Amino acid sequence: MMSFLKRIWTAAPIATAILGIAMAIVLLLSVRLVAFWIYWADPNHRDQTVAAWMTPGYIAYSWDIPRPAMLEALSGATPRPGRPMSLQDIADANGVGVEDLIVAAEAAIAAHRRSDAEGRGNE
Amino acid sequence: MNEAIFALVSEYGVYVIFASAFLSCLALPIPTSLMMLSGGAFIVAGDLAAAPVVLAAFGGAVLGDQAGFLIGRYGGAPVIGRIARSPARRAVLTRAQALVNRHGALGVFLSTWLIAPLGPWVNFVAGATGLTWVRFAISDILGEAIWVSLYVGLGYGFASQIDTIATLMGNIVGLVAALCVAGAMVLWIRAVLRAGHLRHH
Repeated sequence: MMSFLKRIWTAAPIATAILGIAMAIVLLLSVRLVAFWIYWADPNHRDQTVAAWMTPGYIAYSWDIPRPAMLEALSGATPRPGRPMSLQDIADANGVGVEDLIVAAEAAIAAHRRSDAEGRGNE
Repeated sequence: MNEAIFALVSEYGVYVIFASAFLSCLALPIPTSLMMLSGGAFIVAGDLAAAPVVLAAFGGAVLGDQAGFLIGRYGGAPVIGRIARSPARRAVLTRAQALVNRHGALGVFLSTWLIAPLGPWVNFVAGATGLTWVRFAISDILGEAIWVSLYVGLGYGFASQIDTIATLMGNIVGLVAALCVAGAMVLWIRAVLRAGHLRHH
């Protein structure tokens, strides 16, 4: 094994070094993929949380809330076609903390889900 | 890091997508795939229109590839000269050039979408080893069309899990690229060993 390594190192040192680095990366990424698979197989891990980079439109889509309801809950969000406003942008524009907007968004999601469940319960 | 990219795209929209597609095709380490994923997500969320996103990504990528190819064609000769100094390497390089002439278009095509991290380097090598521009351009356009459709499509389809899909794709693409590099090194080493062995007889 060692003499083989010596042979290829003498014949093509740069290629051998690149090969070593590439194999190390293959090992690292394979381990990460397996860990990823195990982690995401657990359904408890699959909930996204509302983040500052998200726009009201994105939140509405991902949590299946009607878009106007989300825009209303985060009042001050004027739709700019082509330049969507993220929660961070809305917070900066209105001088509020982005955490308040995140809480407002989560409250709107919860409220919508509640009224959905109640509607279904009455049928 | 994913979050910073998503924030950039929501802030600057198609301009950052175009710029990053162009620069990443010139070997700058910019996560353009990530930007296209988020572009797709913002399209389905109703925040961005589809046509500008797709055109910006496609246009930026093709123009960046063309620039890389031209840099390789007009600036690649000294690098090739250095590699070709030893006789064994020169023999391997000649065979590599023959390979590029026969299969170069396929290599360009695959490196634009399947093995995207190697794309910029394939562009340089294609230009330096004399692949004809027409063959390069056709493979490049087809490949980039697939790349843009694939990533914007994934962002569109998996929008509600955008962070997860971004991390997953990053790992998969990196793995494929590393395997290809390792495979290429194995072939090169075997060829150099064989060329050196033959000369001793």
